Amino acid sequence: MFKSMKYVIHENFTNLFRIYSISKYELLADMRDTRLGLFWNFAHPLIQVLTYWFAFGVVFNKKDVMVYNVSVPYIFWMMGGMVIWFFISPCITNGCNAIFSKTNVITKMKFPVSVLPATVVLKELFNHFCLMIILFIIYFIFGVYPTIQWIELLYYCFSAVIFSISLSLTTSVLNMLIRDTRKMILAIMRLLLYLTPILWNLNSLNSMPRWVGYIMKANPIYYLVQGYRDCFFYHKGILFYHNSMILFWLITFILFAFGSSMMYKFKHKFIDMI
Amino acid sequence: MEQEYAIEFNHVSKIYSLKSKDKKNTNDKRFYALKDINFKIPKGEVVGILGTNGSGKSTMSIILAGISDIDEGEMIVKGEQALIGIQLGLNQQLTGEENIELKGALLGLSKKKIEEIKQMVIDFAEIGDFLYQPVKKYSSGMKSRLGFSINLALNPDILIIDEALSVGDKGFAQKCLNKMNELKLEGKTIVFISHSLPQVREFCDKAMWIEGGMLKEYGNINDVCDHYAEYVDYYNHLSNADKKKERDAKFEKRIIPNSKKGFFSSLLRW
Repeated sequence: MFKSMKYVIHENFTNLFRIYSISKYELLADMRDTRLGLFWNFAHPLIQVLTYWFAFGVVFNKKDVMVYNVSVPYIFWMMGGMVIWFFISPCITNGCNAIFSKTNVITKMKFPVSVLPATVVLKELFNHFCLMIILFIIYFIFGVYPTIQWIELLYYCFSAVIFSISLSLTTSVLNMLIRDTRKMILAIMRLLLYLTPILWNLNSLNSMPRWVGYIMKANPIYYLVQGYRDCFFYHKGILFYHNSMILFWLITFILFAFGSSMMYKFKHKFIDMI
Repeated sequence: MEQEYAIEFNHVSKIYSLKSKDKKNTNDKRFYALKDINFKIPKGEVVGILGTNGSGKSTMSIILAGISDIDEGEMIVKGEQALIGIQLGLNQQLTGEENIELKGALLGLSKKKIEEIKQMVIDFAEIGDFLYQPVKKYSSGMKSRLGFSINLALNPDILIIDEALSVGDKGFAQKCLNKMNELKLEGKTIVFISHSLPQVREFCDKAMWIEGGMLKEYGNINDVCDHYAEYVDYYNHLSNADKKKERDAKFEKRIIPNSKKGFFSSLLRW
């Protein structure tokens, strides 16, 4: 197990320039395709946020969200969690296709396949930074000013990257073995958006049995969502959520270990699975 | 002194599994794409690989290039190999220049090295101002010239050239041949896979004839080419029924019957 993890880490770190180049030109090619290019990277999530805000904020008339005695208007509260969802979600859906979509590369040359999940995540990371800038501007205009705690966003962002890479390692290999994986993940993502407390607050589950809340909190994506919101509004610090933190890193580690051992086992077999 | 070999194959086999027509029959058949291949290619030799369609040439090329793994036997390769083919993963949206950079990075070159080869590629590919156009606007000849040039600039020890010269006009094909002759003089080992007998005869020292996944003949260029040409003639003169019989006979030899179902029953064909 450790051998395979070492192999994957080594391959990723010796190929940083490869990872960077692939992501860069993927992004460029994406933008070339459309006339407005980069504009869509912003417009698409903005429109989605507005949709959710209209549905939940206006139609269902959600009140300000009150957690840890801090009251936040629903739309800002929702955006704080949504911004990381917009990073994780494409990472997961594109991540499981990471190897398969590069068929034309891996069949044509000797290629370190295990770097492919990282290229997908790096590409999405760029979009994430664009969104963060927009979010900062919106917050600034409406009076949510940056504080020193916002630096912790870097930690959560890093966690999100590691988590996405680990998950993509696993799913991308599974997708090569069984092509249904991608279909399943696409379906689950729909579900996950609503199962993760992004659009609604966990406290509204008070009438439910306690274990429901525990299960919700065990979701690694919720840890990241909660973390982002903590940085923006609650300022409790990273260690305040130590239980979730341990669980999050445990899940990430298991995913990484499993993903890299699969990757190691099948590294020469991918071409026969296409 | 013992001669140094660039590539050695000892009883190499490559197996693909086939889905059976009958769905109830879960015993998937397995199929030898290559069966028990033995040969040695000395360093600096230029070997042509001949064979009819479906005989395993492409499988051979990806195995030689280290892209695909073998199932049985042993393969020893000394030196860095590179596969040079026609269909290269050029990105349609990117310009020629960006494709050179991307392709270079994909092949694991450093930034400095990419800058170095860029000019070489531009000169060799003869695409002129199209360099700054998206590749989707290229003619198919330009695309293959660009792809071929990028690969040639890599300078590996062992080149595996898969039908690369069947595209492009005579002029460019000649240019490629000249370039490959240069590489030959530098002492590179070259494996040349082609349908074109004249090109193989002109360019290679030795030839290998693969038929039905098995190595039929390996030796002097003229002998093998003559035998291969005879076989093609003989095959073409057969009636359609006889052709089918011959194909079936070949196919039958490659089947491994009643094997256990493999974990991956994905159907593969090249």
